[in-house]
Amino acid sequence: MTTKRSLTPYLFLAPALVLVAIFVLYPIASVVYYSFTSYDIVRPPVWVGFDNYAQLVADPTFWKALTNSLVYLIATPTLIVLSIVLAIVVNRRLRGIHVFRALYYIPAISGSIAIGIAWRWLFDRNGFINSALISVGAIKDPIQWLSEPSMVLPIAILLTIWAGVGYYSVIFLAGLQNIPEELYDAARIDGCNDLQKHWHVSLPGLRPQIVFVAVISSLAALKVFDEIYVLTNRTGGILDSGVTVVFYLWKQAFTLQHAGYASAIAIVLLALTLAFSVFNVRLLERGTAGD
Amino acid sequence: MANARAPALPLPVARRRLIKPQNVLWYAVLIGMSVITVFPFAWILLTSFKGPNDLIFSVPPQFLPNDPTLNNYAKVWDALPIPHFFLNSIAVSIAVVVLNVLVASLAAYPLAKMRFRGRDAIFYLLLATLIVPVQLTYIPSFVLAVNVFHYYDSLPALVFPNLASAFNIFLLRQAYRSVPNDLLDAARIDGANEARIWWNIMLPIVRPSLAAVAIFTFVVSWNDFLWPSLMLHTRETMTLPVGLAALQGFFSSDFRSIAAGVTMTVVPILIFFIAVQRYFVRGLAGAVKG
Repeated sequence: MTTKRSLTPYLFLAPALVLVAIFVLYPIASVVYYSFTSYDIVRPPVWVGFDNYAQLVADPTFWKALTNSLVYLIATPTLIVLSIVLAIVVNRRLRGIHVFRALYYIPAISGSIAIGIAWRWLFDRNGFINSALISVGAIKDPIQWLSEPSMVLPIAILLTIWAGVGYYSVIFLAGLQNIPEELYDAARIDGCNDLQKHWHVSLPGLRPQIVFVAVISSLAALKVFDEIYVLTNRTGGILDSGVTVVFYLWKQAFTLQHAGYASAIAIVLLALTLAFSVFNVRLLERGTAGD
Repeated sequence: MANARAPALPLPVARRRLIKPQNVLWYAVLIGMSVITVFPFAWILLTSFKGPNDLIFSVPPQFLPNDPTLNNYAKVWDALPIPHFFLNSIAVSIAVVVLNVLVASLAAYPLAKMRFRGRDAIFYLLLATLIVPVQLTYIPSFVLAVNVFHYYDSLPALVFPNLASAFNIFLLRQAYRSVPNDLLDAARIDGANEARIWWNIMLPIVRPSLAAVAIFTFVVSWNDFLWPSLMLHTRETMTLPVGLAALQGFFSSDFRSIAAGVTMTVVPILIFFIAVQRYFVRGLAGAVKG
């Protein structure tokens, strides 16, 4: 370690700090200010005090968006469980296993817009899902999946899970391969069956990966936008059934030109992610303390 | 189930590696899951070859086109500047990856290996920005793009706001910390300055982490949609995700053409990822350690 006083460390840090100042810190300060103004991006903002926040509390669509975003968090535990199961399956030494592993993360690398379009057509009134269900006799008439207020959010969550499982399972697979084989041998000698073996050895061994995926996927779930945008064809769904916090932010700011009101939504989003990060950091500390 | 331990007969290698009976169940599971992940893509691919006489909706569903055609591809190719979408996406992603990794690898060095005033404050400030949802910054960034930087509706708008990543700085700092200090001290005694140490010692040692960070950044940049959709309006400036969304609007219910468009944009990226699969998996694996 150098203790010498010099400019060197600051020079190394300068590009990053300048960029963060312009594209993160300045925008945060602006959003805080805008949230107390009436602002349409074109004309200068006009101070309105707490009006936006008062309006927010009374806005049923905002509450709908907030609820939807919190419901979306169901994706996180589901993703963790399914990804671990998939990782255990593909961790077997089988011929051609690399091909299967590659197939499973195709959805993750294809991009949310492409897979969103694919799903929108699968669930279209004239889509594959309806024709398949009718032909096996499960339904008589086509279902309007994405025009059904109660179905939009579950389909979007399902899409997120479907796209994420392969991706996150790669992380868990790497974790599994770091677990020493002797631990499994010891478990076998102690009389563990396959299931017990994974419960007692794999799960504790995967703790850092579980924490990582929990953090990444829950932050992603709170910020979901693309899936809703494509599945509902930019509308947010009938009766705002699929509107999430970020979708509502986007709609208010960039389609309705209510940038001041949208800034207040942004502040709520920040508070939400802050709360979650504190929760996640707790989890992380517990995770590392045990290792 | 057959017994697990086969008799030690001198079987030829190829024979021995054939699918064992006890693995049949596993293959059934693996294939079942592949169907779930691949099916939507297969359906899109098959639909993209369907002609006007093939049904999109039928009971039971029609899988193979009766008179396969490339017309849908020609239609999309003529209507939208698909090559532009590609070149724009490639240009933006490469610029973001190179510059972002450069900025992060510079910033992470003093945070990992130097002692100076304000180090911890700077580190925690950067860490705190990880929590900030990027969507929060879009309104002010939009105003900056239009009024200050004048890069609205052009590709630099997608590059500059994405050059500083606290996540990448954090990962590279972790990587740098594993480099032994003796090595750096020896270089300093030999008269190397910090810039040389960074370039000649630190960067080569952490190359696997650099690759991981680069791949992460590439995937995020390649698939980024919301910010690009706010910035890009002229067709020729659009990146693939923005172009795809435009395509969906343009062909509204012409599913055959939309399917052709989706296929054209997804296939190249899949080929690319099959090519770099090894690095991708290793990168993902290396990024999260206990």
